[in-house]
Amino acid sequence: MLFSKRYQLIIIFVLIIILISMTFRNVRRSSETGIVEKLVLEMAAPLMNAINRPLEGLMSAWQRYIFLVGLEEENRKLKKKTALLTQQLIQYREGYSEGLRLQKLLGLKEKISYNVVAARVIGRSQLSVFQTMLINRGTIHNLRVGLPVASDQGVVGKITKTSWHVSKILLLTSENSKIDALVQRTRVQGILQGSGLRCQMKYIFKTDDVMVGDAVISSGIGGVFPKGFLLGFVTGVDKKGSGLFQNIEVTPSLDVTRVEEVAVILPDNMGDKK
Amino acid sequence: MTYLIFMSAFLLMLIVFQTTLTEALFFGKAGVEISLILVIYAGFHMEVMKGFFLSFALGFFLDCIGGSIPGLFTFLYPLLFFIATLISQRVYPERALFIMGFTFLCVLSEQILIIFFSRLIYGTDLSYDTVRAFLPQAILASLLSPVFFNIFSRFRVLLNGKYPRSVKRT
Repeated sequence: MLFSKRYQLIIIFVLIIILISMTFRNVRRSSETGIVEKLVLEMAAPLMNAINRPLEGLMSAWQRYIFLVGLEEENRKLKKKTALLTQQLIQYREGYSEGLRLQKLLGLKEKISYNVVAARVIGRSQLSVFQTMLINRGTIHNLRVGLPVASDQGVVGKITKTSWHVSKILLLTSENSKIDALVQRTRVQGILQGSGLRCQMKYIFKTDDVMVGDAVISSGIGGVFPKGFLLGFVTGVDKKGSGLFQNIEVTPSLDVTRVEEVAVILPDNMGDKK
Repeated sequence: MTYLIFMSAFLLMLIVFQTTLTEALFFGKAGVEISLILVIYAGFHMEVMKGFFLSFALGFFLDCIGGSIPGLFTFLYPLLFFIATLISQRVYPERALFIMGFTFLCVLSEQILIIFFSRLIYGTDLSYDTVRAFLPQAILASLLSPVFFNIFSRFRVLLNGKYPRSVKRT
């Protein structure tokens, strides 16, 4: 053995002290991405790409097969849904044109358009409660920490680390993701926190009106997510527990474990694509 | 130096493999923390400095690729390695049942520490999620740990850079 037991204990003790100090230093400068971290991300990205491409092919072939099995049933359901949505669309068009008229009347600005950078998912981590995803765009594509990430079906999460060609996204469903949100129908405001594959909407009083099926959107408060982005739908409301607030379960509008392409939303003065 | 470079490359590939293939195998619903099993293996079979480097590098790579609290796994992995090293000096760590039990406890300890740090750093309470998220992962890792120990022992020359020492106490 290289060291005697006593020396081993001393070494272990010293190393633990070093580790603790390093961890606290890291936490303090959590918003920056260090050069070594960037290098690791850069090296991991091609490896992940090489593994993911054939895997994605296999998975999509399997999903297509599963899709074909339930196609008839799904077709029937979709036809019903389309009829319902057409009715709703007519009502919303009416509301939209009324909104435009009022906007003109009050002299408000037109809806803001966003710059986006499209990216492909090259890796996911679901190992712990912290769910993250890697995309193939980084600082050279104008991305930076804190930018919101969405797909055509809703919000995916926000960027927490960036290297030159790779960025890490903290998913909406991750336990330490917190987004200021609104219940679209009643404009009740709360905090949407991830809880694994679903989310919880917190700090909504028991007296507030929330129903299963309500859409939950970003409130725009907090400065990360623009207002009005779809986050998910209420799938459970429980007012039985003690305390002031309801337990509201929200299912994200997209399956974060399957999303393959995303769009990073840039502030108006950045970006290369409108 | 060559050992460190090859070892770093091997460990990075292991983390990439872990975050891509195991995720795909379980359709993103669960995962096997192979890296933690390797840390425990290192605690049982490797010299302190080499084992420390291995666990530190694994933790760091995991933090870079999949972590969310900066430096958390870089701290936790070496800590669990030291615990495994100290335990292996007092018990015979070769029996499958012991390996499974110890891995189960290590995964649970890791998750408890994650809960603790989440509360400390972000003020997020994850304790309600213990059974749903942590227990299946601990069970899965502990069931598969003897298989991975077997695989790692085939790579022991690569891991040690030479022929390894035997178990610390028999």
